[in-house]
Amino acid sequence: MAAGEPSPPTGARIGTVRRDGRTDVFFDGAAADRLMIRRCESCGRWFAPDASGCPECGTEELDWAEASGEAVLVSWAVAHSRTADPAPLALVELAEGPWMYGRLDAVAAPREGLPLQVCFVHPDEGESYPLFKEPA
Amino acid sequence: MTDTAIAGLGMTELGKVYGRSPRRLAADAVRGAAADAGLALADLDGLIVSSGMSGSPGIELAGTLGLRDLRLLTQMNSFGATTGAMVSYAAAMIQSGAASAVACAFADAPLSPERSSGSAYHRDAPEWHGLGGLNAALGFRSVNAFYALAARRHMERYGTTSEQLGAIAVSTRQWAARNPLAQMRDPISLDDHQRSRWVVEPLHLLDCCLVSNGGIAVIVTSAERARDLAQPPVHVWGWGQGHPGHRMARGSDFGLTTGATISGPAALKMAGITASEITVCQIYDCYTYTTLVSLEDYGFCAKGEGGAFAASGALGPGGALPTNTGGGQLSAYYMWGMTPLSEAVIQARGQGGERQVARNDVTLVSGNGGILDHHSTLIVSPHAKGR
Repeated sequence: MAAGEPSPPTGARIGTVRRDGRTDVFFDGAAADRLMIRRCESCGRWFAPDASGCPECGTEELDWAEASGEAVLVSWAVAHSRTADPAPLALVELAEGPWMYGRLDAVAAPREGLPLQVCFVHPDEGESYPLFKEPA
Repeated sequence: MTDTAIAGLGMTELGKVYGRSPRRLAADAVRGAAADAGLALADLDGLIVSSGMSGSPGIELAGTLGLRDLRLLTQMNSFGATTGAMVSYAAAMIQSGAASAVACAFADAPLSPERSSGSAYHRDAPEWHGLGGLNAALGFRSVNAFYALAARRHMERYGTTSEQLGAIAVSTRQWAARNPLAQMRDPISLDDHQRSRWVVEPLHLLDCCLVSNGGIAVIVTSAERARDLAQPPVHVWGWGQGHPGHRMARGSDFGLTTGATISGPAALKMAGITASEITVCQIYDCYTYTTLVSLEDYGFCAKGEGGAFAASGALGPGGALPTNTGGGQLSAYYMWGMTPLSEAVIQARGQGGERQVARNDVTLVSGNGGILDHHSTLIVSPHAKGR
């Protein structure tokens, strides 16, 4: 990891992530420190990156669009395992409205409504991925 | 309108039961339910099948059992709400005259001798692919993580505590200690709950249900016919389903409320009663939190007060609202929606032995599927409807 990039919290070393050919735009964005989410071009609604269609207008093909990266914390949890460090999990509400699952970066006192900002990890192996931290 | 009743209950050995496929377990459960009712398999004219993690059995179960000339045969899936959905569909088909004696069966065998209970419902891989894989890589490896987010949201919003969840683990185990069918019968204290390892904070190990192999089936028929069969009829007074369809976006109540807000009033209305007339609850308790939030949504306490309600001792032996009197999924056996239904049948018949509740007049049976996404409710009673 190069200097100046966000230092991961304990346990930010996740398993290696590979692209699957269907969500490559998301990982291209992450590599360039941009959070790409889905948007319905017909009705303008925003959706989480893993959305597969617009239930409002029925559009099956959602476009990709860059999100601001601003979010607030909805809920959080810490996953424990015998083989890895505790993982600080989060459910965040993006400024555009959709909720997104993610992981917190060094948030000491999580609470509902806590302002967050996306940041990205660029591992040597596998795809870049987002974390959410408190704004500087 | 034809009133309906559950006339038979069949349960295989439950828990670490190896060497039998889900189809075999389901077949054994249906045979057991028919024999319990005093019926021959040939008396069945309907079969509804539900499978768990194994994805089996399907409608081929009819062939395994040698059932012929059925008038109803289908597989249903509303996840943890399926049992209530099966019984209500069977009852509606009987009311319409389309069928007369319907077996509803569930079986699963996620456990194998070689791996831990946790791994049966847990994802692990050296590499992950795409966005779905990313969530797993980040730590969303099982449904535990999503229920933890739901429970945390309730804690944050209403001040619910881990100790209050622990009260549910303790009272449920108190019931299990009295149930010879339960897998976990050693009493636990609140301290045991607090000291049990974290699975996904805020959920301790003792907030999470068991994983079990086995099969359970019931026979639904008309109340009139059930009266002439081998067991005391368990009358089906009402049913309902609720699927709130929480959007995962701004303004969502995800985690805070469940489909019980829809299925509960529907079932109570059909039964012609109010929640205050319920004397026993059998609630789908995949987690302690599921019990808590479901009881709130059925109206047994105000929204946000489920924690205090549980900590009051209301749910345990001697409490005002005996709940999960067989030990539930937390301590007895995890047969999805058949766990609460089987105990409801046993209690309504007065066959609960050491754990039999005195006031078994009206039982609420609750199913829950997905992440609090799908609810089903049944109201059952030893008394005929409109008693």
